[in-house]
Amino acid sequence: MGSKINKSYYGYFFIAPFFIGFAVFGLAPILYTLYLSFMKWDGFNAPVYVGFANYTRLLHDSFFYQSIWNTLLIWVLSNTPQLILALLLALILNEKFIRGKHFFRAVYFFPQIITPVTLGVIFSLMFDWQTGSINKILMYLGIVHDPVNWFNSPWWSRLIASAVICWQYFGFNMIVFIAGLQSISNEVYEAASIDGATKKQTALHITLPLLRPVFLFVFITSVIGGLQLFDAPLMLGDGPGNTSRTMVMYLYETAFKNFDYSYGAAVAYGIFIVVMFFTAITARASKLKD
Amino acid sequence: MKTTTKKWLTTATSVVLAAGLLAGCGTSNNNNTTNTGDTNAGGNNATTNTGTNNGGTQALSGKLVIWTFFDQVKDMAEQFHAKNPGVTVDVKMFPGDQYQTKLLTALQSGKDVPDIFDLERGYIGKFIDSQFLTDLSAKGGDDLVKDYIPYVQALGRSTDGKLKAISDHSSPGGFWYQKDIAKKYLGTDDPDKISDMVSSWDKIIELGKKVAADSGGKEHLIQNAGDLFDIEAYNTQPWVKDGKLTIDPKWQTVYENQLKIRANNVDAKLPFMSAGWGNALNDGSVVLTSMPAWAGFMIDNKDNKANGKFGVAKTPEGFYVGGTYRGIYSKSPNQDLAYEFIKYIAGTEWQQHNLEKTGNMPGNGAVYEANLDTYKSPFFGEQNILKPYYESVKAMPAIQPDKYGEDILSKWRKAAGDGIANNSSYDDVVAAFKKEVKNTFPEVSVD
Repeated sequence: MGSKINKSYYGYFFIAPFFIGFAVFGLAPILYTLYLSFMKWDGFNAPVYVGFANYTRLLHDSFFYQSIWNTLLIWVLSNTPQLILALLLALILNEKFIRGKHFFRAVYFFPQIITPVTLGVIFSLMFDWQTGSINKILMYLGIVHDPVNWFNSPWWSRLIASAVICWQYFGFNMIVFIAGLQSISNEVYEAASIDGATKKQTALHITLPLLRPVFLFVFITSVIGGLQLFDAPLMLGDGPGNTSRTMVMYLYETAFKNFDYSYGAAVAYGIFIVVMFFTAITARASKLKD
Repeated sequence: MKTTTKKWLTTATSVVLAAGLLAGCGTSNNNNTTNTGDTNAGGNNATTNTGTNNGGTQALSGKLVIWTFFDQVKDMAEQFHAKNPGVTVDVKMFPGDQYQTKLLTALQSGKDVPDIFDLERGYIGKFIDSQFLTDLSAKGGDDLVKDYIPYVQALGRSTDGKLKAISDHSSPGGFWYQKDIAKKYLGTDDPDKISDMVSSWDKIIELGKKVAADSGGKEHLIQNAGDLFDIEAYNTQPWVKDGKLTIDPKWQTVYENQLKIRANNVDAKLPFMSAGWGNALNDGSVVLTSMPAWAGFMIDNKDNKANGKFGVAKTPEGFYVGGTYRGIYSKSPNQDLAYEFIKYIAGTEWQQHNLEKTGNMPGNGAVYEANLDTYKSPFFGEQNILKPYYESVKAMPAIQPDKYGEDILSKWRKAAGDGIANNSSYDDVVAAFKKEVKNTFPEVSVD
């Protein structure tokens, strides 16, 4: 059947740039990382083949497990409020009667365009134990008597890291939600209002169900993004007993601070498997709902 | 059929998404392993350097490429060029902490490699035993450092005692104080008397209690209990001996003192070089700030308002913070010319110039000796600041760097720092510390 289709090869030239770019900057490093993970290499001497030694070490590495746990906690703590906030604001800013909604959409999106490193530094200064503005305000208001050592508490460290991420991305998700809301046909709402549905009924039974594909998109991207948390938490530090060190921070410290490139490569593959696992779960969950 | 397609799609999506992540990680890896191509177009293109024998008067010519993270190397190159107009010195500066990754990458690939490269105290231990550094002892380098401050020359030596790198400065530290604040809380602004008042940690704790009480808890004697890490770091035994982790028993005393300092409100709890730390240094809310001689840029000297305002006293034990070392790449074709450069910066002429121009303390003891009674620095008015620095720095033990020292020290800072904040027992700190070391360096045996 397909024999008459014109199978011109020119098409390949047009798609080649992407594949060449991916092969050089994506695939080659991925494979090189795999190669390194079977070596012992500190960057000073020639790599030595060690088989699965790095992976065996990884399986027994309690610090790695701790970093997975930290990442998940920070992810949950940042994404739950972030998605709720984004959805609520999207619903509100999508209402016709709100004035200046374009202004608010822009304002809520602003944090997204700040680099995470800057945000991390700002938050670490704000929450500084001795000189941070938060402690100054709390003490001025008489809420606390002594300054709170935020970064000496595992939960506060994680919460602050989560707050940075939440604050940075809620605007982006809000825009995605608004786009989703605007793609819902007006006819459905008109039909509902003719049938006498209340605002609450419309929101619960029309808007939310029709928004589900958008919700899934936001959720999956946040799983991928959330598990790669790095820059902002890095600026806030490891936390007491490494309680706010994320997986990618651990990778960075191993490979580029301790120059243990080979073990770092194994950690990278460990992270890959963790992310695969959670992405698969998310994908499976989204399928179940269909 | 439809479900299979969907299943396939789901799997494919997750693979692609996850691959995207890995590509993210992988790419950064890639950047650090393959970016030598764009790092330096210079390379070793000197063709006409004339080999000179030491002390020869023959005019030098050729081209040297130096890699550094420190902008004052440019002045060094200019001064050298002024003396040797036939030599072009190309200084490539890579600020920030990407320098060492960049350097390592270039050295590994052997392409576009500098003739001379700088190494910071923080990681010199990792490079010192590598094959990348030329043995300067074989070129007569020991002679260049014979008058050096013992600790400064030792830091450029490999495990087998050979000289591999030389620094042109020392980085001694002391207690800096504002004279009027010291007079108010300590009753004197005389550096010798203050040095006496704080000659031991016990004295500091007692004095700190008094300062806190006199000021109603508003004024603190020192910045941070954590400063003791800096001061004791190189007054203790190396962390790894014969592949085994050893914790100098002195650390226990240090830790106990740190707990006492924290418990008695002796410190302002401000971390070194943090914003609050800088403010306290300038507004005088901390009496004594332990800091290295090179950190004068932290003082706000708008319209010369800080001139003559400060004094410097000795810390209970001498200390130093940082240091930049310079070595010759072992495969550089310009070995002899590079050695002439090293010789120049190790000499008194450059170090005298550097002291006068930037206030950086010399590494050469002869330069200290020559300036002890004459050198004045604007912040310190009439005080001969070389004296306290020289006395304390001269007494510091000469310890060769090793690949573990700095990393393990930072693990200790972390474990003990957490301990101070939580008032933990020494045993808990040691246990947390050992766990960290064991995890990062599985090859080091830990009890």
